[in-house]
Amino acid sequence: MIDRRHIENIDWFLIILLVLISLVGVLVVYSSSHYLPGKYYLKQMLFIGVSLVLLFLFLAVDYTVLTTYSFYFYGLIAVVLAGMLLFNQLTAKESWIKLRYFQVQPSELAKIALILVLAQMFSEYKRNYVSLGAVMASGGLVATFFILVALQPDLGTAVSFLPLLLGALILAGLKRKALAFILVLSVLLGVAGWNFILKDYQKNRLTTVVFPGKDPRGSGYQILQSKIAIGSGGFSGKGFKKGTQSQLRFLPARHTDFILSVVGEEFGFLGVAGVLTLYFLFIARLFHSCAKSRDRTGVYIIFTVSMMFSFQILVNVAMVIGLFPIVGIPLPLLSYGGSSLLTSFLAVSLVVNVKMRRFVNI
Amino acid sequence: MKIEKNRFYEDLSLILMRTKQAFFAVGGLFLLLLFFFWKVQVLDFKKYWSLSEANRTRESVISAPRGLITDRNDVILADNAGSFKASLIRENCQDFGRSVENISRLMQIEKTDLEARIAKYASFPLFKPIIVKDNLDLREVSRVESQKLEFPELVVETDARRFYPFSTLAAHVIGYMQELTPEEMNSDSYKGRNLGDLVGRTGVEKEYESLLIGADGSLTEVVDSVGRSRGEVARVDPSPGHNIQLTLDFDLQRKATQLLEGREGAIVVLDPRAGEVLALASFPTYDPNKFIARFTPQEWMDLINRPDDPLENRAIRGLYAPGSVFKTTIALGALSSGQITEGTTFFCGGTTRFYGRPFSCWFAGGHGVQNLPQAIQHSCNIYFYNAGRRLGVERIAEYAKALGLGALTGIDLPGEKEGLVPTEEWSRRVRKTEWYPGETISLSIGQGPLLVTPLQVACHTAILGNRGRKVVPHLLRFPSEALEQAEQISDSPARTISAGTFEKVIKGMWKSVNEGGTGHFAMVEEFDVCGKTGSTQLISRERAAKLGKEIKTHSWFTGFAPRDNPRVVVTVLVEYGGMGGATAAPLARELFNLYKDKYD
Repeated sequence: MIDRRHIENIDWFLIILLVLISLVGVLVVYSSSHYLPGKYYLKQMLFIGVSLVLLFLFLAVDYTVLTTYSFYFYGLIAVVLAGMLLFNQLTAKESWIKLRYFQVQPSELAKIALILVLAQMFSEYKRNYVSLGAVMASGGLVATFFILVALQPDLGTAVSFLPLLLGALILAGLKRKALAFILVLSVLLGVAGWNFILKDYQKNRLTTVVFPGKDPRGSGYQILQSKIAIGSGGFSGKGFKKGTQSQLRFLPARHTDFILSVVGEEFGFLGVAGVLTLYFLFIARLFHSCAKSRDRTGVYIIFTVSMMFSFQILVNVAMVIGLFPIVGIPLPLLSYGGSSLLTSFLAVSLVVNVKMRRFVNI
Repeated sequence: MKIEKNRFYEDLSLILMRTKQAFFAVGGLFLLLLFFFWKVQVLDFKKYWSLSEANRTRESVISAPRGLITDRNDVILADNAGSFKASLIRENCQDFGRSVENISRLMQIEKTDLEARIAKYASFPLFKPIIVKDNLDLREVSRVESQKLEFPELVVETDARRFYPFSTLAAHVIGYMQELTPEEMNSDSYKGRNLGDLVGRTGVEKEYESLLIGADGSLTEVVDSVGRSRGEVARVDPSPGHNIQLTLDFDLQRKATQLLEGREGAIVVLDPRAGEVLALASFPTYDPNKFIARFTPQEWMDLINRPDDPLENRAIRGLYAPGSVFKTTIALGALSSGQITEGTTFFCGGTTRFYGRPFSCWFAGGHGVQNLPQAIQHSCNIYFYNAGRRLGVERIAEYAKALGLGALTGIDLPGEKEGLVPTEEWSRRVRKTEWYPGETISLSIGQGPLLVTPLQVACHTAILGNRGRKVVPHLLRFPSEALEQAEQISDSPARTISAGTFEKVIKGMWKSVNEGGTGHFAMVEEFDVCGKTGSTQLISRERAAKLGKEIKTHSWFTGFAPRDNPRVVVTVLVEYGGMGGATAAPLARELFNLYKDKYD
C-alpha cells in the first residue's frame, strides 16, 4: 500500500510547519496555565506526539480507500452523535465521550468524516456549475451533523462544519443565483435560530460584538478583557509569563479559545504578526497543495481542509479582537485541547496523503 | 518517460482556478485582521495599557487608629477594637439590581435601607467602596468570604472601630461619632477623609478631632481578577492619632453617674485650683457605642425624639434659674458695694410686701431677725430681697458676671451655652418692656429671667473658694508646668471683691453645711465643706397653691471643700428634685466623701 516513492513525496515542509505552530502553542499554553494545577503544557506535548504518530499511521491508507468507505464512517459518527444526544437528554449535558485514559469529542472527528464524504460525493462531479440536487444532498449531509452538534449544545463546532460545505460547493461551482439563495437561506436560518434555537448566553455574545461596552462586567467582559490584553501588549509585548491580564486571570479561556490574546499581550504586535505569518504560510501551503492532486477527489479533500483551517483561524482571530461573536471556536494548533489538535493533524494527514500519491502508478 | 497530461490525469483547471480565488480571499482577510491588530496594539496602545494597569492594581486605605481617650489615671474611656465591615464596590456588580437583592439577603439588611444608603453615596465614583454593614460577627464574615467568587462586589475589610468600654459613662464628655455625610465629604474641612469615615460629633471626640484622627496610610496592591492580592506595590504607613488624657477621675465620674441614675440632672466636680474637671455627668445618658453602627436610623430617631433628651449635656447646655445659690452673689455684691455689712440684720416674718406685692420666704414660719451669715445658713429669702433691692438690678448683673454667671466658661467642649443675666438694657432690647422693680426682688433669690448652667455654677463656686481667682475649666490634661502657668493668669473682675468679703460669705456657707443650715446633708466629717443650696421655683408659690398641687422645684447644691485652700468643688442639679437641701446636698456629700477618701 505504501512504497518508497510515496515516502519520497511526503510534504515535510507542511508537517514541519504543523509541528512548529503546535510547539509555539505549547509555549503559550505554558505561559497561560503554568500557575494552574494540571500541567496543561505537558498534556499538550503528549497530544502532539500521539497526533503525530496517528498522522503517519493514517498515511498508510490510500485516500481513495478512505473516501470509498467514508459513508460508513459518516454513518458511524452520526449514530454516535445521535446516541450522545439521546443519552444527554437523560443525564447531564456533555459533548465528550469519556474513555478510561483520554476523552474524545466525536464532533471534532465529524469534520474528518465530512471532508471525506464530500470529496466522495463530488469525485465524479464534472459539470461546470453545481446542481440544486447536489446542493441539497451535500447540504443535507452537513446539516445533519450541524443539527446534532448544535443541539449538544456546541455551536462553535457546529458552525465550523459550514466552511466544509461552502468549500465543496465553491469548487463544484456556485452560480450567482445559488450564492444569493444560500445567503437568503442563511439569513432565514439566522432569524429562526435567533428566535427558537439560540440560548440567551449565545444571544448575548452576539449582541456584545456590536456593543462591547454595554455591560463590561457581563457578556462584554470577555471581549473587553481580551482587547485590553492585546492592546496593552503594545508593539513588542510585556514579555514571556509577564502578561498581567493573563497571569492575573482577567482574561477568560486563556489557554484555549483566547490563547492569541496571550500572544498579543506577552509578545506584542510582533508576536501576533509572527504567529499570523506562520499560519499564512501554513494556509498558503495547503491551498497550493490543491494543484498537487492527481484527481478531483484529492482537490476536494485538500480544498475543504484548507477552508476548514482558514475559517477557524480567521474566526478565532476576529473573535479575540472583538470583530466576531464569541462562538467557542478554538485557534487550531495553538489552543489547548486534544480533540481539536488530533483533528487538525488528521486533516493535514489527508492533505499529505493526497499529495504523496499524486503520481499515477502505471 | 514524459506523460501527456490529459491521458492519465483529468482536467482540473477549472476547480484549481477556484481554489486560487478562495486563497486570495483568505489572504486578504488575513491582512485585514493584521491591520486591526496594528490598530489595537500600536495605535491604541496607551488606552489599553492604562486599562490593564487599572485592572491589576488596587489602592486601598489603611486607616490610622484613632487616639485613645483616658481618664487622669489612664483608665481607657475610648478604645479601638478590631471589627469587620462589609463594603459594596458598585464597579464590580454584574447586575446591580440583583446585587442589591443578594446583599440584602446575605447581610440581612432591609432592602430599602440598603438602597437608601447606596443612593446617599450615588454621586461618588463607582470604585469607592460603600460600607453596607459594620461590626460583622464571624458568621457573617465567613458567609461573605465563602461567596467571594460569586459576589466580587462585596468585600470584607478589617477596621479599627471606636469602642467605649464603659458605654454610658461620661458619654456627654467623650461625645459620640457618626459617619461623614456626603455633603461633608465634599467640603474643605474634611478633605482627605474617606467614604464612610466616622467623625466626632460632640464632646471631646469633636473638640479634639484633629488631634485624635492621625493620618491614614495607603496601600497599592496587585490584584487578580477575583480581587485576591498578589503582593504590594507601594505602601504608606498610617500615623496613629494622638492619645488624649482627660482630667476626669474615673471613680468620681462613675459615682456621679450612679448618683444621677433615675433622675434628670447634672453633676460637675471641679478642681478649683486649676480648673481641672474631675467629673462631669449628665443624666439621662446614652450609649455612644450605638452610634458607631451605621444602620440604625430608627434607634437614632428614637433617641433624638425622647422627651427627656438623653443626648443633651445638661452640665454645659442645660439652662436653669440658680435659685438660692444666687444668694451668695447678692451677698458679695451688697457687702462689696457697702450696702450691707456682715452685721446688718433684717427681720423675716415669713412674708413681706414690696411694691404692693407679697413676697414670701420658703420657711413660712419666718426666720426672725437674721444677720448675713445666718441668712446664708438658712437661705432666708426676706434677707436677700432686701439686700438685692438695695443693690439694684444693674449692680446685681455686674457682680453676677464678675462671678462667672451668664457667660461662657470656656471649657473645651463644643456647644456650651451662655445663659442669661438680665439687665434693664436687656429687658428693653429683647423683651421690649421696661424692667419692673418687683423683678429685682425675684432676681435677688435667683429667680426671674436669670439662667445659668451647672458648669457655670461650679466655676462660680470655684471663684468663691479661690476668694476671687477665676479658673477656666478644662478636660484636656496639661503637663504640670502648664498648670502652674494657668494659675498665674488670675486676673478677673472678681478680684475687685476683697478676700475679706469672700470670707464673710464663706462663713455663711460653712454654717449652712456644718451648723444645721439648709446644706447640712452635705456635711462631711473633718472636711469643712462650704456650700449653698437652691430650689428653683418653676411657678410662683401662690400659683402652685391655687392649682392645688405640689410642683416640685429644681434642686441645687453647690459647694467646695475644704474651707481654706479648697481642692474640690461639687455642683449638683437635679431637675424637679424638690428642695435643694433634701435632694442635691446628699448627692454632693457622697462625692465630697469619695474625693476625701481618695485624695486626702
